[in-house]
Amino acid sequence: MRCIIRKKTVKRMAEFLMCVIMPLILSGCWDRIEVNDLAIVVATGLDKTEEGEIELSVQIVNPKSMGSKSEGGQGGGKQNTVEKTTGKTIFDARSKLQEKVSRKLFWGHNHIIFIGKKLAEEGIRKHLDFFSRHPFTRLRASVFMTNEKPDELLKIEPDLERSSAEVAKDLAMLKVGLSVTAKDLLDMLSGEKRGAALPMIQIEREPPNTEGLKIYGAAIFNNGKMTDQLDDKEVRGLLWIRDEIDTASVTINPEEGEELISFHIFDATSKLIPSIENGNWKIKIEIVSEDDIVENETKLDMMNPKIIEKLKEQLEKQIVERVKLALEIVQKEMKVDVLGFEEAFHRHYPDEWRKANWEEVFPEIEVEVVSEVKIRRPGRSTAPQGVPENEVIGN
Amino acid sequence: MMNEMGKETEGFTSKIKLRKSKKSQKKAVKSLQSPQEQELLSQSLEDNENKFRSIYKDCSDVVIRSFYIGGKDNAILIYIEGLSNTQEVDDSVLSPLMESSGEGNDQVKSLINKKIPVTSVKEVKTVAECISEISSGNPVIVADNQKTGLAVGLAQYEKRSIDEPQAETVVRGPREGFVEALSVNNSMLRRRIRSPKLKLKSMKAGKYTETKIVIAYLEGVADPTLIEEITNRVSKIDVDGIMDSGVLEEFIEDDPYSPFPQFLETERPDVVTANLLEGRAAILVDGSPFSIIAPITIYSLLQASEDYYSRFLIGTAIRWLRYVFLLVSLLLPSLYVAILTFHQEMIPTTLMITVAAAREQIPFPALVEVLMMEIAFEALREAGIRLPKQVGSAVSIVGALIIGEAAVSAGIVSAPMVIVVAITGVASFTIPRYSASITFRMLRFPMIFLAGTLGLLGVMLGIILIIVHLASLRSFGVPYLSPMAPMKFNEIKDVLVRAPWWKMNTRPHFTGEYNKSRQADNQRPQPSNGGDE
Repeated sequence: MRCIIRKKTVKRMAEFLMCVIMPLILSGCWDRIEVNDLAIVVATGLDKTEEGEIELSVQIVNPKSMGSKSEGGQGGGKQNTVEKTTGKTIFDARSKLQEKVSRKLFWGHNHIIFIGKKLAEEGIRKHLDFFSRHPFTRLRASVFMTNEKPDELLKIEPDLERSSAEVAKDLAMLKVGLSVTAKDLLDMLSGEKRGAALPMIQIEREPPNTEGLKIYGAAIFNNGKMTDQLDDKEVRGLLWIRDEIDTASVTINPEEGEELISFHIFDATSKLIPSIENGNWKIKIEIVSEDDIVENETKLDMMNPKIIEKLKEQLEKQIVERVKLALEIVQKEMKVDVLGFEEAFHRHYPDEWRKANWEEVFPEIEVEVVSEVKIRRPGRSTAPQGVPENEVIGN
Repeated sequence: MMNEMGKETEGFTSKIKLRKSKKSQKKAVKSLQSPQEQELLSQSLEDNENKFRSIYKDCSDVVIRSFYIGGKDNAILIYIEGLSNTQEVDDSVLSPLMESSGEGNDQVKSLINKKIPVTSVKEVKTVAECISEISSGNPVIVADNQKTGLAVGLAQYEKRSIDEPQAETVVRGPREGFVEALSVNNSMLRRRIRSPKLKLKSMKAGKYTETKIVIAYLEGVADPTLIEEITNRVSKIDVDGIMDSGVLEEFIEDDPYSPFPQFLETERPDVVTANLLEGRAAILVDGSPFSIIAPITIYSLLQASEDYYSRFLIGTAIRWLRYVFLLVSLLLPSLYVAILTFHQEMIPTTLMITVAAAREQIPFPALVEVLMMEIAFEALREAGIRLPKQVGSAVSIVGALIIGEAAVSAGIVSAPMVIVVAITGVASFTIPRYSASITFRMLRFPMIFLAGTLGLLGVMLGIILIIVHLASLRSFGVPYLSPMAPMKFNEIKDVLVRAPWWKMNTRPHFTGEYNKSRQADNQRPQPSNGGDE
């Protein structure tokens, strides 16, 4: 009797287990992809052809070239492959690209998007949708504008890094210039009236026979279309206003002579304080930075508080000048808000902001730049080095 | 009967899940005794002798020796070779009896008092009693015209000397381990807990083996309902034999289908002592150096005795290391498979490219690769245990060579995979209890399958299933995940950390409820009366 019951239970359990396990095994592996069936895309280039089609170029890592030691001499060969096609949309181009590539194109590791000049001028907004919609792309990919052909950039074989994608990624991480991810860009463009700024990148051909990439300046987008470009110096000012300065160096020329003093800014914050008084739109930019002295060509004694005070003033002036230079161009000439002013007003004066015609208001905003510098350390040496004690000024 | 018991001690009883009384409850160990054995000893020696000779027919190790007490009364001595100290039998039993002046008609009692200089002498009345004494190694004397026989406590047999436990080694801490002989194990416990509150309740199980089982507990600390329940479950066992505590375990555990051990097996008397002091009970089985402790939680399985002997900060750190590697041993291969076959975007690009490069020439999918390597590793581990010691080193060399080196250079498995399997293998050995570590090692195979079919979703599903099962599991009424679920904040002192001894003032919640206070408060070492002055 007992035995019969057991058998029944066991049978029922076995049936249940089959019901659970079979669907797993039957359906489970359908979207399985082995790593060696993937073409890992690390950088994408976008441009437009003369005929108005999207030109998509991708940099694919060639894992074979990194072969482990045990494979002997089989390794080597090109580390990256660059493929290029055109299509009506990005995805259309991608489908055509897949016809040429034996492995499944995988965008999950795409860190870099290069945008060509022609595409930038004609408008990037509609093409960015692919990068926010396709599940495999990363929103954290860094976006760059380039005046050259994007696929040329992808083809570069840099000296230090494995690929140009890595160079661009590391440059973006160093924050020497603007650093904009796909998500940032979408954010910037989604504001109704706001402009956007993208770092620009170009091929560095110096010294000859080697190739590299270099970040310089920024491209300014108005309504998703590139309108202007800033040079390096102006971009620095832009970074100060946008509170994106990570580390910087500032060199000043103290009154006494031709010798220079360099400062390393290790911490800088800036604040935008908007105000509307009697219909006058005003904004105050407060910049606080902390500096170390890292190089002193002069004979000034860096331990003398009076001298330090003077240097401080000069430094503050220098920073204000840098900021004003950028302001002049961006606000007065280009009239595109890539400075974050709109957001500041939107937050503090939402009603006024809604009523105002931002494109008219923006160039008229009165800007006050306040800079506060704190000189923290004179560096490893106190008195100027290699100078006889009696020649040191301020000792 | 059990319901009555439940009423007696209210409150706590509800926590212990009592086994439903079945119809079979009434019958104790089914006896193999023939009617002949139930009889009392008869007056006539001849009858008795014939009886014993027929019972012990073809038992070449049983010796039946006849002699005269004081030169006139006929008597026989029955013992089993190798179970009794024959030297002592000669000196303190045979010679005084044979040489006695023979006042005649000595009653058994006076014989005990006058003639036999042995500490333990017992009267035996039935044949069955005689047999049980003889099997335990005590020689039995039956004399003519006497209704009772004498069992002389001269049992002595060969046993292994006390040794360092093989499966639970420590750097710091006692190095003696249980042996197969129950009496030795009992003595080891008694040496550690001298109070008469240490009870060693003796029972028997096994029709043929009649294995002695001892339930050890501390009276006044362990809940009586727990002891009652253990006794009940053990007494219900009706089998041919109990070879090891592992066999007993399967008959008395709460969830026989669970892969998780519901008893803590240990060879160490100090571990048993510590658990008895926390209100648990230990079951010792004759013939097995492994005692089993109940009730336990999953955290008991992750606590090594050394945690409590080393400094508490170190103990805590090591405990955390063990928790981390427990997860590693369960999840690492499945995570590797899941990420490599479904979620390639989840690992850093450089790592991804490195792995892709290593996998470039590999003919198998990641799932097959992991399974191959894991199974090979398990086979090596198993072979390492089973093979004779002399061959063992050969296996490890071949294993290391084939798995580590040749398989990679032949391009059959990738190097990262070898690393994964190696780390997993090492990780599972950080779990101090073999029974728990093997559970997690085996559970990782279903996890690998889930990962290979459903990706990270499958891994999550597996984890959820395991946690659901663990949460429903009980060991003698104690929730397996307690004190984390149900949460008892107070108890974390011995789970997430190893609190200093002077902080652990109460016994664990579920087992120590009966007698909560473990020690006096405020025992932190500090200067008396404000310091040195």
